[in-house]
Amino acid sequence: MASSPLLVFSPKLFHRLLQLPPTLRRSLYSTTSKPEIYDVVCVGGGPAGLSLLSALRSHPSTERLKVALIDSQDLTTSRAASDTDVYSNRCSSLTPASLRFLRDAGAWDKVEAGRVQDYHGMQVWDGVSGSRISFDPLDGKNGAGLLDALAELVPGNRFRESRRQYGMEDKGVVATMCENQNLTHALLQRLKDTEGVKVLDKTKVESIQLGPEPEDKALDLSQWPIVTLPGERQLAARLLVGADGANSPVRNFANIPSHGWDYNQHGVVATLQLDHAFAELDRRMAYQRFLPTGPIALLPLPNNKASLVWSVTTPLAAKLKALSPPAFASMVNAAFRLQIADLTYFLEHVGTIDIADEFSWRLPNTSPASTGLPQSLPMVKAVQEGSTASFPLRMRHADTYTGHRIALIGDAAHTIHPLAGQGLNLGLADAQSLASSITYGVEHGMDIGSPWCLDEYVSDRWAKNNAVMGVCDKLQKLYSVQSGPVVWGRSLGLGLVDRLAPLKGMVMGAAGGVR
Amino acid sequence: MRATTPSSLTRLLALPSPLRVRTFSVLSRPPPNYPGHIPLTIPERLSLAAGSAIGSLFNPYRHDLIASLGETTAKPYFLSRLHRAMLNNPTGRRILRDRPRITSKSMKLEELRHMPENSVGRAYAAWLDREGVTPDTRDAVRYIDDPEEAYVMQRYRETHDFTHAITGLPVIIEGELAVKAFEFANTLLPMTALSLVAIVRLKKVERQRFFEVYMPWALRNGLKAEEVINVYWEEELETDVEVLRARLGIEKPPDLRDIRKALREQKRKEREAKEAAG
Repeated sequence: MASSPLLVFSPKLFHRLLQLPPTLRRSLYSTTSKPEIYDVVCVGGGPAGLSLLSALRSHPSTERLKVALIDSQDLTTSRAASDTDVYSNRCSSLTPASLRFLRDAGAWDKVEAGRVQDYHGMQVWDGVSGSRISFDPLDGKNGAGLLDALAELVPGNRFRESRRQYGMEDKGVVATMCENQNLTHALLQRLKDTEGVKVLDKTKVESIQLGPEPEDKALDLSQWPIVTLPGERQLAARLLVGADGANSPVRNFANIPSHGWDYNQHGVVATLQLDHAFAELDRRMAYQRFLPTGPIALLPLPNNKASLVWSVTTPLAAKLKALSPPAFASMVNAAFRLQIADLTYFLEHVGTIDIADEFSWRLPNTSPASTGLPQSLPMVKAVQEGSTASFPLRMRHADTYTGHRIALIGDAAHTIHPLAGQGLNLGLADAQSLASSITYGVEHGMDIGSPWCLDEYVSDRWAKNNAVMGVCDKLQKLYSVQSGPVVWGRSLGLGLVDRLAPLKGMVMGAAGGVR
Repeated sequence: MRATTPSSLTRLLALPSPLRVRTFSVLSRPPPNYPGHIPLTIPERLSLAAGSAIGSLFNPYRHDLIASLGETTAKPYFLSRLHRAMLNNPTGRRILRDRPRITSKSMKLEELRHMPENSVGRAYAAWLDREGVTPDTRDAVRYIDDPEEAYVMQRYRETHDFTHAITGLPVIIEGELAVKAFEFANTLLPMTALSLVAIVRLKKVERQRFFEVYMPWALRNGLKAEEVINVYWEEELETDVEVLRARLGIEKPPDLRDIRKALREQKRKEREAKEAAG
């Protein structure tokens, strides 16, 4: 308090102070310092928040906005690991649409390319009935979407021209696997290169409140969110973006409820070593098998590595993580190759049986036709030490993504089951949409925190995210049934989609985020 | 396989994969999966099932027809269910791993006859002697495609006599039908249920007795008992029969031969009394 020493020292000085005009008087004994004013304050330094800021810095209209990034973790140490043989267990599958966005934001060329793996096909099959579907973009006409098929009808028509995607080599890539830390490092590097972004890492947000009542007409921050940081520092945000994860404080501040449910499942992740290495130009496949306990997916990484995501019930997740690495590797192989009866027995007796021994007995006695096993599925040889971990699975969707001067992107807005690999892609699409709304607002002289600017973002993203989350949730429920007519129905449906090329193309297009 | 890719319509109408496995022609039968395996097309399977059913109804002693009826009707679901029941049980898994076979060489009757009184082995040997059969009268499984499921069928067939032994039911039609009813409630194989059609061959008195006593016993015990396919008989030879029955949850039915003998005695006495009077 600036004036407290004066009060103590001299009553005469105090008397003189009281005779000052009110504005000066208040400024002398006012304890609150003026908050720093920013255009965009992004709370959360994950891929969604970082890509939003990169996109803003990459566009000429928005590159002069005053932006700040706040994160409680230390962002400078999220360096890509230099050891080529060790991969993080948190990897994400980036769709071509996400990659286009990251390229436009200028971040993709900073990603360490040797640690990124494209894959060119997907094999998905039902563990109970063995019915399967395979996605292969290079399947000639069979992989084309319905609209592409219509566009091909008359050569040279304008519809076909408008559907051509510029600047994108069509290598038949379904998606790209990238470690989360590799992506975050690249985005941070991009932000550092563009300069002008105030990165406040290792800073925990103490509180978010609306500004005080206005003291003078010049500055009215009473409708602005003010973020209080340690050390009495305050940032006032024209637009406060919450990219701070599933338990978002920004969302709580905005009083936006979020509805959903827990799946009572955990997603077990690990980095696996396969039995043979793949060259850089080999066509790689992703594999997913739907088991009654939850889907298990094997996603390719460079060389002979792969990433595992296996959704299991919570007690099973604890048991699986406690297994020794060779037993865990055998369990993963069993989950892909053996019949459900065998797998159920393994999971029930996971602590008491010799899994590798039982697996080596059961594998020759299990016919691949009965389990729908794809021929190209590689065998898992080992698990990378210390890479098994798990995270709880739940579905949450915020009722809306915006409030007055608030916007939510990424996990703060929605949480989804990992079975379709869409979580990060939805977050990046949110960032892209919000960036374009902000750009539109700046170009048209709007206040970027006002609903006129932000409503475009909500109307673009909320329904699409809801649809994707709904489909993933229903798929999870559909494939958790173990017997009866539901199994027959879903096997028939999967077989039909596999054979109806236009329908399969539409599904692939939707999953690939074609906008 | 032809090199031309099929049109969309034929691909759409193609059978789902579990049925597609069987679409081969008699001129290009696939190679056997195990020695003695004969892969059948669907019409062949259906006609063999129908022929075996009719043939075994007219002559219940045609055990080969009963065997082929069992094999052709056990797929697609029932044998797989039995296989899964074995896989879910630790002892069943050991049986599948070791694959023990019951033949007159593996079950030496001289040794079995000298086993402790009231043991499973002694009861088995006594039953074989009483009925005049040997363990070698069982046919090999030929029409099941998966080798492990073929073993399950073979094991079921070979342990059928053990079920007779611990229940004490004789090899006459009435006893066989009682055991078949028990096996249907226990294993769910369709052949066991289809065999019950042979009730029409029973005499009226026998039929009445069957419906009153033996069928309720069989269904009640078959449902509440443990899966008999999971019993490792080779290890249970010295177990006491009462102990094994209690562990499995099976009650011993009334001795059929004794009942029939008593009934015959009674009829003979009545006839003699009538002749003496008349």
